[in-house]
Amino acid sequence: MRIRLLATLLLLYLALVPGASAQEPFPTRPISLVAPFPPGGVADLMARPVAAAMEKVLKSPAVVVNKTGAAGAVGMSFVANSKPDGYTLLMALSSISIIPEADKLFDRKPAYTMDQLTPVALISADPTILVVRADRPWKSVKEFVEDAKKRPGEISYSSSGVYGTLHMAMEMLSHAAGIKLKHVPYGGAGPALTAILGGHVDTLASGPAVILPHIKAGKLRPLAGWGSKRVAALPDLPTFKELGYDIEFYIWAGVFAPTGTPDPILKKLRDTVRQAVQEPDFKSAMTKLETPVAYLDAPEFQKFWDKDAKMLADAIKRVGRIEEKK
Amino acid sequence: MVETLQNLYLGFSIALSPSVLIYAFAGCIIGTLVGILPGVGPLAGISLLLPASFGLNATTAMVLLAGIYYGAMYGGSTTSILMRIPGEAASVMTCIDGYAMTRKGRAGPALAIAAIGSYFAGTVSVVGLMLLAPPLASFALRFGPPEYVALLLLGLLALAYMSGGSVPKALAMAALGLLLGMIGIDPMTGYFRFHYGLVELGDGIGVVPVAVGLFGLSEILLTAGQSTPPAVMKPRLRELLPSRQEWRDSVWSIGRGTVLGFLIGIIPGSAHIISSFVSYAVERRLSRHPERFGHGAVEGVAGPESANNSATSGAFVPMLALGVPSGPIPAVMLAAMMVHGISPGPLLIMQQPDLFWGFIASMYVGNVVLLILNLPLVGIFVNLLRIPYPFLYPAILVFSVVGVYAVNGSVVDVWIMAVMGVLGYLLRKFEFETAPIVLGLVLAPMLEMSLRQSLALSSGSYAVFVTRPIAATMLGLGLAILLLSLRPVFTRGLDWRRRLGLESKPSLGEEGKP
Repeated sequence: MRIRLLATLLLLYLALVPGASAQEPFPTRPISLVAPFPPGGVADLMARPVAAAMEKVLKSPAVVVNKTGAAGAVGMSFVANSKPDGYTLLMALSSISIIPEADKLFDRKPAYTMDQLTPVALISADPTILVVRADRPWKSVKEFVEDAKKRPGEISYSSSGVYGTLHMAMEMLSHAAGIKLKHVPYGGAGPALTAILGGHVDTLASGPAVILPHIKAGKLRPLAGWGSKRVAALPDLPTFKELGYDIEFYIWAGVFAPTGTPDPILKKLRDTVRQAVQEPDFKSAMTKLETPVAYLDAPEFQKFWDKDAKMLADAIKRVGRIEEKK
Repeated sequence: MVETLQNLYLGFSIALSPSVLIYAFAGCIIGTLVGILPGVGPLAGISLLLPASFGLNATTAMVLLAGIYYGAMYGGSTTSILMRIPGEAASVMTCIDGYAMTRKGRAGPALAIAAIGSYFAGTVSVVGLMLLAPPLASFALRFGPPEYVALLLLGLLALAYMSGGSVPKALAMAALGLLLGMIGIDPMTGYFRFHYGLVELGDGIGVVPVAVGLFGLSEILLTAGQSTPPAVMKPRLRELLPSRQEWRDSVWSIGRGTVLGFLIGIIPGSAHIISSFVSYAVERRLSRHPERFGHGAVEGVAGPESANNSATSGAFVPMLALGVPSGPIPAVMLAAMMVHGISPGPLLIMQQPDLFWGFIASMYVGNVVLLILNLPLVGIFVNLLRIPYPFLYPAILVFSVVGVYAVNGSVVDVWIMAVMGVLGYLLRKFEFETAPIVLGLVLAPMLEMSLRQSLALSSGSYAVFVTRPIAATMLGLGLAILLLSLRPVFTRGLDWRRRLGLESKPSLGEEGKP
């Protein structure tokens, strides 16, 4: 009994202390996947099934750590500045490209820069959809844009916060359609949804999962989606691209590692995530969340990210500092 | 009605099934602990346990999480009453009269009244939730930014009743609280304000570290500064139960707190936090002996504690009836539903009757469980006071630090608590009251956000506050209260404040001496 205990302790010791051998196995201790938003938020809800599936593939623990604050900046800069050894990963959303750009706009010392983080894999990318209250007159994007042109700055929309993802989606539409809408920022996507359901604003851009039940209940009417393809749950809903507006916007979630992570470890992580998204448990979890998996491996994800970040940077520059536009 | 009873029968058959019952039990116990631990409030508790609920089915997950929520409201009063440390933001007001009662040797009755008030409020408000959810929810959603501004201004008026001493001093403290509330990202333009390079200050200063620092730490520091340690209180068994007079004083307070809390609770946003502040003000306003407040008035415990409990049921109204994430806690609970493949929406009650009625019934059960759990605990908790201060206070300090750190895993929060502890110590030495700071800090960010949203919606016209009926009514009410409270200034009648001014006030730190 005693000997077995000692042997276990020895094994544990060997497992915890990095060996001196050149080919160090990875992982030898738990990996933490940082979600920069609180439990229950999109990043957290994506991170949990990913971590669970990675755990299965690696046969080594992977835990979700919520490091929240300042619209995600706290958690993202935490990972960006942590040791690039593959044990601290980030589950980030589109806002990862917004924060450094907003810091630049305000001449702030940036919390982190985008080149501090290296993409591992894209997990999901949901296009936002434009919804209006069912009691408002607009039945199509055409009617909506025509009315908005007649009454500039009178049709209002709620957003998850100034320079937030939902604000950016609307800004892209306003720019492409040449219209001016009234922006009312709220403290998060939840309050923004509450505002349109309460009739305090006319329209909202939102991810499909949270908005579908309200569309089915007849409270909100969808006009168009921001995706390159139609949303599976709403096959009759046109995309802005089909309607002739060259805009695309996704609320995406992807895994990142700090830049400088050794290549073999990065490769191992990429392989792990590739296998993880094939796990049946992972697929069923994503189906329950009504979020289709949109897996992309690092090279393609990098391309996707570059394009997305450029689009967001342009949108932020167009919005500019809000005070200066009297 | 028959249909409701049938549904309720269905609900109880679910809630009383062993697998659900055990999670209701677990939720209530965890909630009570979360409430007791200084700093960790229901939101943090639910967030930390959300991942654990993923493995359960939807109904048990919801029952567990809801149990944590209202269990925390029971537990939150314990440390407020015994040690002047608010377990969570909604218990700040309980610190004032609850702790004063402890100092008078009435800790047992204070805890008992808090538990019974919470039970009554919890049960009655579930009836409200069950019968009135759909119509009330649509009404609650009509609360837009202008209505919110009016409500918060009403909350600010509560200030007039929060201080027993000098009015200018109370106003100065409220102003300090409002200014502290300005720290953080400007919600309309994205500018950082007063963050001094700390990313963590982007979200502003949290209410909990400030409240724990101002109330709890300052108390510990004040005690340490006394030349002789305060006598250890030895509670006797017959002193655990409220006296007949205390019962009589608190019955109506519990009733009023219940109704008030429920009505404020249904409003989307974070309005439920102010339910206890408003309840305290109402009790003081209606009391025939307002001068007793601040010196151990049982109404000052009964009202706010009932209000914060019924506000929790109120917060479920828009969530269950419309599937709206009406506040931070309902938002987490809706996420829990989504994880289980249930899309929360207006059709939730129809499509998921098991979930809805099981949930309702579990709240009846949970409140009974909490009462049974909490009343015997009163005896145990009161005995904590027997621990000599040199052991008790360092332990409290450790728990406060751990609790405040655990919420966001942020050392910055611990520093805020420490700074506020020192500030609270100095302010109380100079006989400033600290409760108005907390009220200001709670109200400032909400008031700023909704005021600026209102003006964005109205394109800058202030008329929006008088043309919307709900907002106009509330503002009118607020004005009436303000004028009423100013009346003595004009008539120079014998106001209770003046009577109070004539009384000799015991200097701080001395009040506990027998």
